[in-house]
Amino acid sequence: MKEKWNYILYLIWFAYLIISAGLMFAHGFLLSRKSLSDVTECVPLSDFGCDGWEKGNLSNVCTDEEKIQRILSNPGSDIACPPARTRAVFLLVDALRYDFAEYDPRIKTPLPYQNRLPIIKETLDKWPERSRLYRFMADPPTTTFQRIKALVTGSLPTFVDASSNFAAIELHEDNIINQVTNGGGKAVLLGDDTWSRLMPGKWLRSHALYSFHTWDLDTVDAEVDTKIYDELKKNDWDILVAHYLGVDHAGHRYGPNHQEMTRKLQETNDRLQKIIEILPPDVLLYVVGDHGMTETGDHGGESKAERTAALFAYRSDGLGGDSGQRNVGIEVQQTDLAPTLSAALGRPPPAPSLGSVWLPILPKMTVLRTLLHLSNNLKQIRQYLIRYGEESQQVALDKLAHLINATREQIEKASLVETEQELNNFMNDVRGLIENIRIVFREVWVEFDSLSMLRALLLLLLAIFFNWLITEGVPMEHIPSIFASSFVSSGISAMAVCIGICYSAYHFELIEDLEHAIYLSTGLISGAITCTLVIMHWDGITQRWYEGRSLFYERFSRGALVASAAVLVSNSYIIEEGAGLSFLGLSALGLMAWNVGTIKALAVWVCCGVVLAITRSYRGCREEQGDCWTEGEGIPTGQATRAALVLALGSVAAVVAVARRHIGWRGYGIVLAGLFACAHWAVGWGSLGSPSRSRLLARGSWLVLITMFAMLWRKEGKGTILPLIACSLILYIANTLVLGVSFAPTAALALLTGFLVLNIVSMLRSSGNSKFSLSTRCSSSVACVWALFASYYFYGTGHHATLGHVRWAPAFHAGDPNYLVIGTPISAALVSLDLFGMPLMFGAAVPLLALWGRNGANNVGPRTQLAAVFLLCLKFSLCFGIRVFASALSATIHCRHLMIWGVFAPKLIFEYLTCAAALLGTIIGATLATWHTSVQQRSS
Amino acid sequence: MFTLNNHYELRKITVSSLLSCIYLPSIITFISYKGLLYSVGNGSSFYILVLIFLAELLKSFYLSSTGEAVQTKKNKANKSTVSDILKSFVFLLVVLFSFFIGIILFGAPILECHEETLMLSALITLLAVFPLIAHCGVEISMQLLFGIKSYTKNTIVQMLINNALLTLCGAWLGAVVIPLDWNTPWQKWPIPCYLGAVAGYLLSNVLTVLKVSLMSAAQKYPTLEFVVNIVNSLHTPKSI
Repeated sequence: MKEKWNYILYLIWFAYLIISAGLMFAHGFLLSRKSLSDVTECVPLSDFGCDGWEKGNLSNVCTDEEKIQRILSNPGSDIACPPARTRAVFLLVDALRYDFAEYDPRIKTPLPYQNRLPIIKETLDKWPERSRLYRFMADPPTTTFQRIKALVTGSLPTFVDASSNFAAIELHEDNIINQVTNGGGKAVLLGDDTWSRLMPGKWLRSHALYSFHTWDLDTVDAEVDTKIYDELKKNDWDILVAHYLGVDHAGHRYGPNHQEMTRKLQETNDRLQKIIEILPPDVLLYVVGDHGMTETGDHGGESKAERTAALFAYRSDGLGGDSGQRNVGIEVQQTDLAPTLSAALGRPPPAPSLGSVWLPILPKMTVLRTLLHLSNNLKQIRQYLIRYGEESQQVALDKLAHLINATREQIEKASLVETEQELNNFMNDVRGLIENIRIVFREVWVEFDSLSMLRALLLLLLAIFFNWLITEGVPMEHIPSIFASSFVSSGISAMAVCIGICYSAYHFELIEDLEHAIYLSTGLISGAITCTLVIMHWDGITQRWYEGRSLFYERFSRGALVASAAVLVSNSYIIEEGAGLSFLGLSALGLMAWNVGTIKALAVWVCCGVVLAITRSYRGCREEQGDCWTEGEGIPTGQATRAALVLALGSVAAVVAVARRHIGWRGYGIVLAGLFACAHWAVGWGSLGSPSRSRLLARGSWLVLITMFAMLWRKEGKGTILPLIACSLILYIANTLVLGVSFAPTAALALLTGFLVLNIVSMLRSSGNSKFSLSTRCSSSVACVWALFASYYFYGTGHHATLGHVRWAPAFHAGDPNYLVIGTPISAALVSLDLFGMPLMFGAAVPLLALWGRNGANNVGPRTQLAAVFLLCLKFSLCFGIRVFASALSATIHCRHLMIWGVFAPKLIFEYLTCAAALLGTIIGATLATWHTSVQQRSS
Repeated sequence: MFTLNNHYELRKITVSSLLSCIYLPSIITFISYKGLLYSVGNGSSFYILVLIFLAELLKSFYLSSTGEAVQTKKNKANKSTVSDILKSFVFLLVVLFSFFIGIILFGAPILECHEETLMLSALITLLAVFPLIAHCGVEISMQLLFGIKSYTKNTIVQMLINNALLTLCGAWLGAVVIPLDWNTPWQKWPIPCYLGAVAGYLLSNVLTVLKVSLMSAAQKYPTLEFVVNIVNSLHTPKSI
């Protein structure tokens, strides 16, 4: 039996191919940014001494101007709060594209969106001193959520803002609103509730409305209108944020070329007119679009039309800036808004901002005060560069050091500026420098690496296609001989050679990116080797395909799996995937039961359906499932109810009581672990419980489980089924522990589903000889159904493919692991077990599909048995490979889609991790089966 | 699929299929003109089911009416009509209920929308199972259902079973559009499945008519034999 361990090696090899290709895709697709929780502090001018340092001795008195002069000549001094404060109205008109705001009298027959905001043109003509209109350039992704985040922080948006706490969508970075409230100012919010979710607890008054219904054009706008005019008359706020959604929604529903767009823009026009009339003279008004839209009304991508928004500024007492900067239509970066707005409000720029102060939309100032703003800006950016370099290695150190030095030089130059002309030159220098810095960071944060995405897709396709040919084509009789040959060892050594070559090339600096080179070369060489194998066995493959004719149910379940992967290109199906998977899985299983054709099979199928129906009540819902979400079902309840506790205890007790009799001495361990788990919940429940004892009990349970897992590898010679069942039970109890009281019954339901499916599979009709029955048992349809249920139970255990739905409590159920040295890996493992425990459990149970029941592979020789187990495992892994490929493909197709960051990208991440868990489980199961098979052979 | 050896049966099949191709679209057109198409799930649309029931009953009378030679035998069977009707009624109720359960298992709402689900299961029962029972009685249809009896010999039964299968497929496929976020009124449960079942039934009837006409045409023009063979080879694996 030379091939014994080759099977396992091959499974690991395949897993490596899928995982590495997925990693490569993620590198190109998921741009990440380290978000720092730093907050820019400023010292009021009154706290500065005359020497430009913070006040030491209070004796000498001098004017603010002298102090500023001193501070400027003191590059090392703290950031000083700008002495002047202006109140500001920030009017965000969602999706206000620049050409919506333009007015061109020459156009005879304007399109529905042209010339609909004449008030802007009138104001610009009447008071050029008071008003400005600019192109306001957004950075992709141009989705509202990311844009708001970017606008208030002044940074560039990315999908993953890796921060210390990414459980909530709450913004943990410094931002304008944070600066205002830190400085004792008050903020008022009207409109979209994204703001209040991003920055909860910061508002003096907030009238936020749920805004997910993109087909509703008027509700939010009308609501804001009823409030805004009253708010404008009050003077207890420093910044008033109003977010109008109508234009964006009109774009989504009808596109810009529609009467509805005209109506919404005219409404906006009337609104602006009224606001400008009643606006107090010293208050700044910024009317801003957060992004544009394409000709179909969508946004999210990086086309010019989506990126070009409008910025209209107005102040009755006049605005600063020289004539060159007043020109209508100059391009201003959206990152500039945060430092500018905070300068107007008398605060330093927010810590993560990468913008520069744009003076033409600030009130007129003296040279000295302008310089103070600029030097504040530079100091904040220098601080950010230093801190980012400390926390992350994304930007090369020498580049970063160069930028920091350049910033320092500019800060030193600030004190030399005296005249307007010098100020202008200095300002241009500063803007150029900050622009450079932004470009450096944008390269790292914002641009997709399409080359590595395409390469990763190619590698996935190669691995899936050739392995599909091997599993579906090569006759089963050939499998043992293939794996007894030098196929696997030559493959592994080829990969080792590849890695060696890549490493030496990297060592001699021939290639830059070692990781990519290794993934690419090993993926390609594996493709070539499997291709060779397929060519060598082409005769057998064609023979089998010519003779073979699969039954309807087999084709159906394969079709169901492919369908479940194919619908991942549609956001609606991703959102409703739980229902879809159970529908497809139940249909495929139903056809199997129909094929068996006995009352018993039908009854088992009905039981399975009932179990799936029960899990529906645990499924919860995500934000996009409007009605269900607003009913409050999506919010997980903090404390489990008494009924939940009873259910959890009952389910564990039932499973343990039934299972222990059938697995011999291992039953005692399972009982012990189950008892510990039950005691852990019972003791920790309610206000009377004792959390510390409860945690101790959970640790006891884990200890027992780990011991049991180690003892699985004790050879007994009693066959492979018992250890496999015991392994599933261990994983089951581990799952219940991390799922917690509220969701523990779902793990039992999953186990029951698996058991029922196993029974239907073992009933599958096979005519006569055992070999034919084995090919029925190992057919890909069985693996597909198993994979469908394994994927379903991700949803069945109450999870959803959104980052907001990740539960963090499992990391702490047995005490806070962060006190340990290896705390981080432990908490990561616990959270991922909570999320992906079900695919892991189903993966570990895959060999049972071949072995279970009377007509299982137990009766045939160990060689055939191992081949059968291996084939099933590979098919099961392939199913997940196909699903990962489909979701990666859909992410590539939709990388400009409105919901890419809300739906497709999280789905890709979760699908990838589910696949990884399933592969790991499969390898564990296959290894266990192989390990115990050898004993059997020796004894027999 | 069909054999040409019994022209009498073939004619009956064609006529009954044509009848369903006419009466079902007329009902659907009528209710959509009345603006009631999206209320098919409500109990108020029960009259549609009654109409379908009557139509199917008449069709089954037509299908069961045999030549004079067998008439005497039929009369003998008529003696136990009352108990037969009762039995079929009970059987239909059981089938209705199991469809109801099945639909819920497949993902229909458990605690609400019972009326809608019931209407859908009633429709499927009417279209898929009722003609079979009306034609061959409870025992034989049960035997057919559980695969004890093979039906390949009897052309009429074959047609009925095809109708039933395609109706179920239609209802199954109808569920595909429900999750899409188009917010159209016809995506409400159970309208897509309801219309899907009707569409599947219609499709099956249209196919029957097409096949029969194709085969009779092939008798006249032997060149068409090729097409018939293709159709047959397409169909064979499905009927396993």
